[in-house]
Amino acid sequence: MAGMMRSSSDGSADEAMHPATGGVLGAQARAQYAAMATLRWRMFVNSLRSNQGALELGARTFSFLVYASMGMALGTGAGVAAYFLVAGGEMRLFPVLFWVLAFIWQMVPVMLASFQEQFDLGILLRFPVRFGSYVLLYLVFGLWDISTILGGLCCLGIWFGIAAARPTLLLWATLVLALFAAFNILLVRAIFAWIERWLAQRKTREILGAVFMVAILAVQFLNPAIYGAKHGGRHGPPDPSAQLSAVKARYAPYLRQAEEIQSWLPPGLAARALVLETEQGPAWGSLGLLGIDSLVAFGVLALRLKSEYRGENLSVAPRRANPLQKPGKSLPSSEFVPAQLGEGYRQSLPATVAVVIEKEVRSLLRTLPLLYSIGAPLLLVLVFSTVFLKGGAAQASAFRLSLPLCLVYAQLGFTQILYNNLGAEGPAIQLYFLSPTPIRDIMLAKNLLHSVLFILVALLAGILSTLRLGVSDGAVIAATSAWLVFSLAANLTAGNIFSIKMAYRINPGRISRQRGSQANSLLSLLVQLGLLSVGAVVFAASWYVQRIWIAVPVFLCMAVAAGMVYLRGLRQVDAMANAARDKLIATLMKAV
Amino acid sequence: MESAAIQTHGLTRRFGSLTAVEDVTLRVATGQFFGFLGPNGAGKSTTIKMLTGLLEPTAGTVEILGQPFGAGALALKRQIGVVPEGMALSGRLTAPEYLHFVGGMYGLDRATTHQRTEELLEFMQLAGETKKLVTDFSHGMQKKLALAAAVIHGPKVLFLDEPFEGVDAVAAGMLKSMLMGMIHRGATIFLTTHVLEIVERLCSHVAIISQGRLAANGSLEELRAGVASTLPGAQREQRLTLEQIFLSIVGAAGQQEAPQELSWLA
Repeated sequence: MAGMMRSSSDGSADEAMHPATGGVLGAQARAQYAAMATLRWRMFVNSLRSNQGALELGARTFSFLVYASMGMALGTGAGVAAYFLVAGGEMRLFPVLFWVLAFIWQMVPVMLASFQEQFDLGILLRFPVRFGSYVLLYLVFGLWDISTILGGLCCLGIWFGIAAARPTLLLWATLVLALFAAFNILLVRAIFAWIERWLAQRKTREILGAVFMVAILAVQFLNPAIYGAKHGGRHGPPDPSAQLSAVKARYAPYLRQAEEIQSWLPPGLAARALVLETEQGPAWGSLGLLGIDSLVAFGVLALRLKSEYRGENLSVAPRRANPLQKPGKSLPSSEFVPAQLGEGYRQSLPATVAVVIEKEVRSLLRTLPLLYSIGAPLLLVLVFSTVFLKGGAAQASAFRLSLPLCLVYAQLGFTQILYNNLGAEGPAIQLYFLSPTPIRDIMLAKNLLHSVLFILVALLAGILSTLRLGVSDGAVIAATSAWLVFSLAANLTAGNIFSIKMAYRINPGRISRQRGSQANSLLSLLVQLGLLSVGAVVFAASWYVQRIWIAVPVFLCMAVAAGMVYLRGLRQVDAMANAARDKLIATLMKAV
Repeated sequence: MESAAIQTHGLTRRFGSLTAVEDVTLRVATGQFFGFLGPNGAGKSTTIKMLTGLLEPTAGTVEILGQPFGAGALALKRQIGVVPEGMALSGRLTAPEYLHFVGGMYGLDRATTHQRTEELLEFMQLAGETKKLVTDFSHGMQKKLALAAAVIHGPKVLFLDEPFEGVDAVAAGMLKSMLMGMIHRGATIFLTTHVLEIVERLCSHVAIISQGRLAANGSLEELRAGVASTLPGAQREQRLTLEQIFLSIVGAAGQQEAPQELSWLA
């Protein structure tokens, strides 16, 4: 090796390197963006070499079209609303439009956490990438997610609506909507990044869990007050106009206060900027405040990304023992594990099944995305139940079916866990093929645990819905329970097949930025929709003949049939897994 | 003739148009410490995967302890232990939790699993790290844990894919003595590694695979004699190291083709 290390003037190790100057748009940064774009492109092209890759592309295209269609529909609705608000001189109602849009933008990622996949930029950290470039890439690569597509198309719709109703507002509306979109894009990423951070460690996870529980309880305490006021007390006469007057009288001061407060929050600021523009000319103050809010959201996100950029280790391991600590003092106790609950379950199950269940519980409690995908729908159940509540007791039909609807949504949280039940194994998948335990036992153990979890979540969702909306009819409860049994058996059967044939590796430390499988997500969603459709048809038919109880035996018969198919599938799972062994191991051993 | 612990006939694996392993016929006698060598991409890991049931051969057969072996041979799997490429560890468990899990998967009763876990963790010097998740272990610690998991059920045949990679010298010494102890008690060990000194010190028999084909197979002395016979006069007398044997069989051609210098590198 006769060569000498040659340094360029800016400190680069080699003259062939781009100079490391010029910030996020400098030559080196631009070369890195080009390299990233090429990497993504090559990954895409190479993925098409396999049938699975082609299937993925089809699934991605289909998903994009579906979300784009949803976005177009929402955008058209938002545009029409904006047009009529501007043309009809009702711009004071603009805050409603912007609040709804903000709600969609922020809640969609929560609702669809199980069905999204993103590129993890953590791989960039070993390269000389500037922090600014890292943030820029983080934002750019996140732009194609569902919430941005939906929110962006809604903004575009509003822009068209305003432009059509009052073309002179066009430039101002462009500014306001662009800033509002930027705020939402930054906020949703900041929220996810921080939730991920808090859920990564046991202590912060427990604190977040406690806050969540307190929030749920607080909502429950608020509920009777609102309910009582709305209905004039539980024993009052059901006079709608009197109720409305009473609510108005009681809550008018609070509503005025809320109206005042919201006008200082980003959706309110965006609306106010547009309203004031039509009344007094450019509302630079509101626009400036919206800009500051965007900067704050960016700052909150940047704070998190800075830690990631520095190579933060969000290990769940306890800290090393302090050498100054008194000898003999034990380390903090381990996390909650089933072994601490007792040994009863071990005796009633085959040893290998029990041991897999035990390992699954331990892993699950330490695997963020799965915990999140199970927990997030419960939050949405709360939100949905509020929607039904707002419909009022007069909407009896919606009220009666609120329980099944809430449970159906809670069930969606299990999509990832049921349809990719080997995804969190990673390289450990090899052990299943090396050990003398049949894959059937492993799948059975996973299915048993997931069923228990499913029942617990369904109970919790049922309790939440009951607390918010009151007790449903006995027939509705029975029919819903029977449908859940059918749905669970069918989901487990399909889930086992998907888990073997279309597995993808889950990064246990991340909620977002997972490199998932769009094909698995899409097809599992379609199976779920199919099951929901079957349930809806049976419910609708029994509703039509005004005998909901008829749905119970129908669902039970379907559950028995689904159970038999499940058992048959379980018997064939070893052959299926062995046939797919090479691909399964290669997929789950891939780096995440 | 000694009974065979591992026997393959015409073992072949193709990935599309690429033949990774072709027509490999091997016999590893019971109680042998067998080294399986080859340059990168020669087919070592593919072979070990086929031998352990992780990969279906395209053609050929595998017998372990005299019985046909495949993915469904569950009873035979109880007799073998494996440290595979990638180590097969569950990152979200602690070391004791993982060993308890593996013990359960191999059908060990709870008391035995717990007792062996404790002994193995002590032996591997991991007893002070029982609260740490496996994902937070260093590479060397993970290797030690993978080895502990491979032996917890007392296998008769042990397959090791690069077991010493990243393991410190002290631990490597202990592992070697543990493996030699297993050999003395009648176990068979099939080892792949790039560290030729380890193979030279531990293994009695060696096979070398190159470009998917078996290039040499026999005891160290047989290989030494074979290579020496191809050398000119005086060189035949010198005692060849395994590195010289290996390079003579697979390395020479590659060395000649590679550029001798990278002018831009310091």
